Amino acid sequence: MLSHIIFLGLFYAVLAVVSATVAVSLFRSAQDFRARRAEAICWQETFPDLPARERVCRHEFTGELQHLICDQAFECRTCQTHAALLAKHPPGAGEADIFGLNFPLDRFYHRGHAWAHPEPDGTVTVGLDPLGARLVAEPEAIALPAVGAHIETNGAAWHVRKRGAVVRILSPLDGEVVATGGAQNGWYLKVRPEGGRLDARNLLRGAEIRPWIAREMERLHSALAPANQAPTMADGGVPMDDIAAGYPDADWDAVCAEIFLEP
Amino acid sequence: MPDDTQLMPRGVRRCSPHQFLLWVLPWSALLAFGLYSAGLCLVKGLNQTNMDNRFAFGLWIFLDLTVIALGAGAFFTGFLLYILKKSEFKAVINSAVVIGFICYSGAVAALLVDVGQPLRFWFTFWHPNVHSMLTEVTFCITCYLIVLCIEYVPIVLKNRKLSQIPSFLVFEFELHKLMPVLAGVGTFLSFFHQGSLGGLYGVLRGRPFAFREGFAIWPSTFFLFILSAAAAGPAFILLTTWLVSKISGKPLVRPEVLPLLGRISGILLLPYILLKSIDTLIWIDSTSPAMGFAAHQFYAWKPFGAWILFAEIVVFGLLPALILLRRRLRESPAWLLSAATLVCLGIALNRFVMTIQTLALPTLPFDPFMSYLPSWQETATFLAVVAYGVLIYSFSFRYLTLFPQEKDLSC
Repeated sequence: MLSHIIFLGLFYAVLAVVSATVAVSLFRSAQDFRARRAEAICWQETFPDLPARERVCRHEFTGELQHLICDQAFECRTCQTHAALLAKHPPGAGEADIFGLNFPLDRFYHRGHAWAHPEPDGTVTVGLDPLGARLVAEPEAIALPAVGAHIETNGAAWHVRKRGAVVRILSPLDGEVVATGGAQNGWYLKVRPEGGRLDARNLLRGAEIRPWIAREMERLHSALAPANQAPTMADGGVPMDDIAAGYPDADWDAVCAEIFLEP
Repeated sequence: MPDDTQLMPRGVRRCSPHQFLLWVLPWSALLAFGLYSAGLCLVKGLNQTNMDNRFAFGLWIFLDLTVIALGAGAFFTGFLLYILKKSEFKAVINSAVVIGFICYSGAVAALLVDVGQPLRFWFTFWHPNVHSMLTEVTFCITCYLIVLCIEYVPIVLKNRKLSQIPSFLVFEFELHKLMPVLAGVGTFLSFFHQGSLGGLYGVLRGRPFAFREGFAIWPSTFFLFILSAAAAGPAFILLTTWLVSKISGKPLVRPEVLPLLGRISGILLLPYILLKSIDTLIWIDSTSPAMGFAAHQFYAWKPFGAWILFAEIVVFGLLPALILLRRRLRESPAWLLSAATLVCLGIALNRFVMTIQTLALPTLPFDPFMSYLPSWQETATFLAVVAYGVLIYSFSFRYLTLFPQEKDLSC
């Protein structure tokens, strides 16, 4: 009798463990939503699905490191390597005119092509950088968060639809949306940052921008190249205001996913 | 045809919906025909098969034992990745889980037809025959199928459309964090039911060809079944990965992944073959004579001559083990694939010997040699399981990320 109880008990215990595992996962998921961790988790979950070329460490652009794939989901705020390198070589001033695109030096740039500009009133203005703006020029639709909504670093800040492709623009900071704009305003969101001030350690600035954009242009050319053909680069000139118009046959969903870091 | 590109993973190319439909149609037809045949068996009874009271293990049990052994790649790859932290196996874990799910669900489906009375499937859990090895097998397979379903869920939830729903992705994240628990449970269950399938031969005193002795309550076949399944699982993943890569015309994993799977298979296969050889020698020398038969008598019937033993141990065992253990040969695709094919065929042959050959041989001096050929209903049900597997894998490959390295390799 005892052996029967042990035998059956063992297998019902296995079922209990499996059920408990699922229940714990559901419980923790609910907790994540309550604690506003959902957006960060979504980013962490999808980050490894990005191709390796999209996960390159920012310090590879500047030549400080070689062949380093980021394993922190671009969370430079907690990256010790970034802190050490930043202390050793703070980025220089840089230049605003990059490949005919104007990247003002008074703001910080997110790898997903949003910028963040701290305002004197303590809010942060968020917009789309010149390359991102040319990719979604004259979008079919824009879905901005409501005023009062909370956005999280690397979470979806707003969505844009361009040539059928729905693109989510990643947020460069944590905070509460206090105003919304649009392409015509030159900015999309005004955000009250969490903690009262913008923590820009995860954002690019100054001399980091040019090598980053150089790499982004390479990726853009690859994404725009027809299937099974090597990318060709224009000999001079500047990107068009509406890049999509110049590539009517391109898979715009794939192009936007590549540049806006969507797996 | 509707465009299904939005459902596929980004950055990978798949065939057009038309081509996919052409691929899926014949398999669906085969599945439908098989379901009809299975329905006949369930409605009219097992008289639709060529099995009888004497030949009670037929094509379906052979299929069950073989696919369960081949599906062992899921638990073994999970064990290597989540318990031993061998991150190289991330490249194939999703595919391994899908293969495991297909193998186990296919085996359970075939068992439901074989056992009959599927509406009373719960009897085995409510009124278990605790003296039967097969009760343990039933419990383990059911529990492990549940584990495989749960392991399949995160792969499905990462589908491009489904992953846009944050709650799915968050649940997937939390479930994935607990995956080592599921991998551990899966390993435990797999270990025991593979063993229990082999353990059956410890009580099969009426079948001197298959009867084995061992340690305490575990006959030698208990350990041989575990080891052979663990060796065949990685070889089957290797083979399916290569096959899918060829059919789809795309590189799916980095070049070093397949030789690594081959090496794991070889490392496990060699001790299996050594133990199997020792077991066979002990059986020839003592077990069989003690049951009143000289071992050579079992090989006196033409279809199952001694060649089958030689083929099982040398051609499908020692030979692929030696190929897989030599780096130079392992790194040659032709050698690697030939060896993996031999390993998979070897496991199928072993399970065939342990079921069909075992029942065909006489157990008393005046017994005749029995022959068995499956009926068309049995064959069609068998093929339905194959078609089911191909369909599940095809849809999973098209709409889910089975090979995470594919995106980088396709650039």
